[in-house]
Amino acid sequence: MATSTYLSNPVVTVNSVALTGFCQSAVLTRTITAADITSFGETARTYGATLEDSELTLTLYMTYGASEVYATLKSLVGTRTTVRVQPGSGVDSATNPGMILSGSYLESLPVMQASLGEISSIDITFRGGVYSEDTTNP
Amino acid sequence: MKYIIVSELVGTVGAEYIPADGINVEALLDGGFIKVAPKSSKQEKSED
Repeated sequence: MATSTYLSNPVVTVNSVALTGFCQSAVLTRTITAADITSFGETARTYGATLEDSELTLTLYMTYGASEVYATLKSLVGTRTTVRVQPGSGVDSATNPGMILSGSYLESLPVMQASLGEISSIDITFRGGVYSEDTTNP
Repeated sequence: MKYIIVSELVGTVGAEYIPADGINVEALLDGGFIKVAPKSSKQEKSED
């Protein structure tokens, strides 16, 4: 049995806008792309780090109200911004770090995703950018 | 340029918004989350 678990309840901020109350899924994956640097004489593949290529995927309830989800995202398509997620709502700390992607690019936005009788939600992905963690209380 | 917070999703409404590096301020203005603060040159003069 796990001695410690985490009941998902992250804080989500996109371009300074708190979207936690509209978000149902957040996946931030830190990736540093590998390059094969195996050479003759080796018996197993060896990889080395190249460029960082992290991304944040969010599933958001789509709303068109004033200063809500659509208003937050509509002008970010095709631009870079800063996105931030945090495990919980407490202050930044080593056990509740603010995970930040700076200069992350939003390539596309489903401006309409509607099905009869369903609550509209969208998936968006911020790609690239520099990853950092904030563990100090501002 | 000085900005004022309009939406509580960004911070305390009415407080000054100081954008951090990398924040897309135009998108915040377009979305109605912040506004440009009015120039307060007259107020500053009257305070003098």
